[in-house]
Amino acid sequence: MPRSLISRLADEARYAFDNISGLAGDLAVPSLRLGVTGLARSGKTVFITALVHNLMHGGRLPLFSAAASGRIAEARLEPQPDDAVPRFDVESHVAALTGERVWPHSTRQVSELRLTIDYESASFLSRNFGRGRLHLDIVDYPGEWLLDLPLLAKDYATFSREAVKAARSEARSHLANAYLATLAACDPKAEADEAAARRLAAEFTAYLAACRADEHALSMLPPGRFLMPGDLDGSPALTFAPLDMEDDAPPPRPGSLAAMMERRYEAYKAHVVRPFFREHFARLDRQIVLVDALHALNAGPAALADLETALAEILTAFRPGRASWLFSILNRRIDRILFAATKADHLHHEDHDRLEAILERLVRRGAEQASFRGAEVDVMALAAVRATREATVLHDGQSLPAILGTPLAGESVDGETYDGKAEIAMFPGDLPDDPEAVFRPGADLGKAGVRFLRFRPPKLERTAEGVTLSLPHIRLDRALDFLIGDRLA
Amino acid sequence: MTDRPKTKETAHTGRKPTAFRLDDGRVRLDDASSDLLSRETRIVPAREEDGDSVPAAIERKPFRWGRLFAAGLAGLVSLAVGLSIDALIRDLFSRSDWLGFLGVGLAALAALGLLGLAIREIAGLMRLSRIDALRDEIAAAAERDDAKAAKAGLQSLMQLYHGRPETAAGRRALSQHLGEVIDGRDLVILAERDLLKPLDEQARRFVTESAKRVSVVTALSPRALVDLLMVLFENLRLIRRLSALYGGRPGFVGFLRLSRSVAAHLAITGGMAAGDTLVSQVLGHGLAARLSARLGEGVVNGLLTARIGIAAIDVCRPSPFVGARRPAVSDIMGELFKGDPQAKALLEEAEKEKK
Repeated sequence: MPRSLISRLADEARYAFDNISGLAGDLAVPSLRLGVTGLARSGKTVFITALVHNLMHGGRLPLFSAAASGRIAEARLEPQPDDAVPRFDVESHVAALTGERVWPHSTRQVSELRLTIDYESASFLSRNFGRGRLHLDIVDYPGEWLLDLPLLAKDYATFSREAVKAARSEARSHLANAYLATLAACDPKAEADEAAARRLAAEFTAYLAACRADEHALSMLPPGRFLMPGDLDGSPALTFAPLDMEDDAPPPRPGSLAAMMERRYEAYKAHVVRPFFREHFARLDRQIVLVDALHALNAGPAALADLETALAEILTAFRPGRASWLFSILNRRIDRILFAATKADHLHHEDHDRLEAILERLVRRGAEQASFRGAEVDVMALAAVRATREATVLHDGQSLPAILGTPLAGESVDGETYDGKAEIAMFPGDLPDDPEAVFRPGADLGKAGVRFLRFRPPKLERTAEGVTLSLPHIRLDRALDFLIGDRLA
Repeated sequence: MTDRPKTKETAHTGRKPTAFRLDDGRVRLDDASSDLLSRETRIVPAREEDGDSVPAAIERKPFRWGRLFAAGLAGLVSLAVGLSIDALIRDLFSRSDWLGFLGVGLAALAALGLLGLAIREIAGLMRLSRIDALRDEIAAAAERDDAKAAKAGLQSLMQLYHGRPETAAGRRALSQHLGEVIDGRDLVILAERDLLKPLDEQARRFVTESAKRVSVVTALSPRALVDLLMVLFENLRLIRRLSALYGGRPGFVGFLRLSRSVAAHLAITGGMAAGDTLVSQVLGHGLAARLSARLGEGVVNGLLTARIGIAAIDVCRPSPFVGARRPAVSDIMGELFKGDPQAKALLEEAEKEKK
């Protein structure tokens, strides 16, 4: 379509302009934009907090070579480049994690931070001619909003068809009853009616929220602002919903309900999604995709399949590829992508390989595409904050690999509900050796024997001098080494 | 123990998720570092006994006639020696009592010395075989990425270096990693970096020194016999120093065994080395060789020493090279000609001669 081509060209020109203006700053001190991507509840905020805290306080990162060899002189927070975006409140997140031992609340708005690392390069040239300083720019945002990115490439008719088809699918139709009934009652060709539009939007939002509940744990729920409106609550840009459009239907008559919906959808894209993408994702250097596979595993194959679709669609919005210094003037490319299965502390490390295999299967499409374009891709199971320890339990003559931790208040196993104070040893069950087994429809892992509890953040000991030990983690150092290690070499 | 998981490949189904209270006596902690995180639950950390390691392939050894012959002969010789000592002491007693008692005392001293020697040899041999076993264990753990095996192996590695104060910092760092890092392979890499790296550097220095000395002496020596002896002596000394450095401290028999395994290792890896490094070395230093035949001999002997030294490092080092890089002949030879004033002077002299 010529119109979308023009708008794409205009976008590209703006990205290039942003890039060139950013480049001027990079001449003084190089900066690295790390994109922390992940759906809601995948642990973005905790990952950023742990990363910043460990770097700033010299946490134990033996496999992050720059830190392990003592070449990092200092890491400190500096004023971020964008003045219009709130600052990521790392101090209060750390205080909540270590003091009250609670996980951060779900993120409601975009925030940003710039971590400046002073380091000594290990190579002769850059030690003598380099700046020895790197700005690391990280953005935190509600994971729901990420679901909007695939919409950029879809028009209203496509979006409607896909959304309605999904709502009628087997896994969701029982949740979408109210919405589907309202949908059947209204005619897209009828006169535009504000009340009908509001009712439809409200029913659609309720359906999306129901899909997200723990027992279903579905992921592919665009548009993201319906679940987490931020400051747009009640604005007309959010009062639209997919209508039952026929395939290759003619463009809607001006003044009809469908035309109004389409206009609002386009407005949503233009005023909400596109700025969000341009400001935070168009110019990334490195990306970590956090995936909470355990949550979806708990809910079953339907949730996993949904997660797979959502990840594949989201990853098409990014631009992986080999970074070349010449093209990087106009166009930044993501040259390293790390897919990370978060919350790996919720199972014993013997199962980490299997979790990684499942994750590899989940993100296969995106990973293949990225490595085809020349980006380096890695997959690992990690825990940015390790909430558990490992133990062995002798039970019925078997010795079970278990984890020790304090479950969150309200979590329950076998009818026993925990109060958030008692520490327990938990054997979460075995993941299958063949990752395909969990994707097969009808595979019920809950009964086959996998159950993941949520644990409270770890209790940190203070040394005699009152110094808090750094936050424990699993493979955070390896992830850091992969993501930023080469820039500190 | 019906379907206990053995390794990562084993399939197991039917184990239900279960939760246990911590006051349950069946709960045992895996890691020694647990008190870092929480002290309110002191459960005696118990290491899980491993009954499920894969049985090693049993080797069928052919019957050794040579050994039988040697044993018989050695028995005869010791009988002969015993008999002659007995006869000597009887003779001494028949001459005079005090002479006899003196003989008995001296014989007792000799026996005591022999016993001490034997004990030391046995201890040296045991140390060597312990290092060999440790290397196999760590290599297997790194290959399978088995954290439990890696932890056990690295614990005994730290024990091996317990009496070496210069490794204290490395041991402290490593014991912290043991509680935190979760991958077996990563643990081995960290052990190499923190504990073995200073030793590796020292070992490389030893090899370079020896190679340098051999090169220079060969280039300067007036007679072929002198450099032959020198090369032999220097190489044996190098093997001994390397072994002592990595904690082997072999006795005489142990040293013989060590030299034999260095030679065997050299024979195995020799083909490869000739393929990749030797050729380039010969070509690279071909200029020096063309300048002076003696200098060329010196280079060749230095190369030999470097290769023996590297083989000895492989044999003596209690861990395989996983993360660290094995020193290559080119590292050592490159260093040999880079900063050494003597070698430089030789080169210059050779150049003058040519003019």
